[in-house]
Amino acid sequence: MLAAINISKSYGRVHVLRDISVSVHPGKITVLLGPSGAGKTTLLKCMGLLERSDCGTVRIDGKEFHFPVAEGHSMRPPWPELTVVFQQHFLWPHLSIRQNILLPVQHRTDLSLPRFHELIDLFDMGDFIDRYPNETSMGQRQRAALARAFVLNPKFLLLDEITSALDVEQIHNLFLHLAEMRKRGIGILLITHLLGFARALVEGAEGDEVVFLDNGVVIEKGGVELFDNPHTERLKKFISGTRFNT
Amino acid sequence: MTILQILVTYREAFLSGLIVTMKLVGIVWILGILFGITVGILADRFPALVGYPAFAITFLLSGIPFLVLLFWAHFPLQSLLNVVIDPFITASWVLTLVNTFTVSEIVKNVLRDFPEQYVIAAKVCGLSSTTTLLHIKFPITFRQLLPPLLTSQVNILQATLFASLISVNELFRMAQSINAVVYQPVAIYSALALFFLAICLPLNGLALWLKARYSRNLSER
Repeated sequence: MLAAINISKSYGRVHVLRDISVSVHPGKITVLLGPSGAGKTTLLKCMGLLERSDCGTVRIDGKEFHFPVAEGHSMRPPWPELTVVFQQHFLWPHLSIRQNILLPVQHRTDLSLPRFHELIDLFDMGDFIDRYPNETSMGQRQRAALARAFVLNPKFLLLDEITSALDVEQIHNLFLHLAEMRKRGIGILLITHLLGFARALVEGAEGDEVVFLDNGVVIEKGGVELFDNPHTERLKKFISGTRFNT
Repeated sequence: MTILQILVTYREAFLSGLIVTMKLVGIVWILGILFGITVGILADRFPALVGYPAFAITFLLSGIPFLVLLFWAHFPLQSLLNVVIDPFITASWVLTLVNTFTVSEIVKNVLRDFPEQYVIAAKVCGLSSTTTLLHIKFPITFRQLLPPLLTSQVNILQATLFASLISVNELFRMAQSINAVVYQPVAIYSALALFFLAICLPLNGLALWLKARYSRNLSER
């Protein structure tokens, strides 16, 4: 399990996260919802150990990272067992899509070529696998970024607003990919602004969780019922305000 | 006399001028690039200790016309120090100094503007710091560095002509000497222009091509 326990984070005098606890279970999806500036990306970075929290603990499969880190101590984050796909993908521009996917695994022995070909089929990348990132569409780049993360056999995958700039067909394909990853036992933390997409993902999936974050605080968390029966006024307002964004 | 006849008749003089120019530019390119890259990397890593002083020197040098700097190093400085230095050495060091700080600024800016997200992506993909340096940082930095570096080195090559003014017998000075004998300025200076065009244009073209190619590759930033 990946868990953030009582995490707080400030930038100067701005408190971005206050005493937050969120968990991601293997083979489950935790969806992080909230308005812009709620602290979602900061929480994702803290859980991905890309940012150091001011206090609290990040637990990854029993291994604990306590914050603040004592002076002189360095962290050894368990990347790529825990990996991140960013909104902007960050594919290496001087490498083809194939090289982008294969570079992280070229020194690893636990990847066989059939698995790579399986990935090409799974993400339908045959047409552009040898192109450079700038020669591909946003949707293709996103599939490549997901494949680059997926080929690493991660236990936990953190996805930061990867639905932005995708058309409806690409979002549908992404839905299928995420469902497939969940089926394979990967724990997924997903930040999205698309409530319909989030709802479809967690609907009918036992144990998936929805967390609503606002102003650095967890306002509500629960299952798919949260979309129909929000307990707080803040979440009600958020959901009603997103009727244009399904 | 035609251009060809002049080149054949005075081939030894042209050749000796060409050798001096190539020696001069070779020294200035090699030392300037080596020192410049070193200072640039140090300036990026230690801004207070190296970065700001290096920037101050670059800023100061940019305010002094190169010819003034060269003359000052050749006449007043040597007079002040009461030494006589071979003009070739003076020109080499002045040009190397200018090249060093030009290159260091280019290197420092490229390193400073390196898109850190590519390193973060490498981290979360589990790449080691050595693999990240060799396969991510170095290739991207090299591609960013090459076009402005090539352009600056073309400028340095052209600046070697000023060395003739402190009596370095490089190509331009030899061309002037030959012209003083045969007085065929059109032919001689055309030949000289062709020589510089043959070297500078391909380098500038390469810089433009690299810039177009690699800036396109980074366009999804």
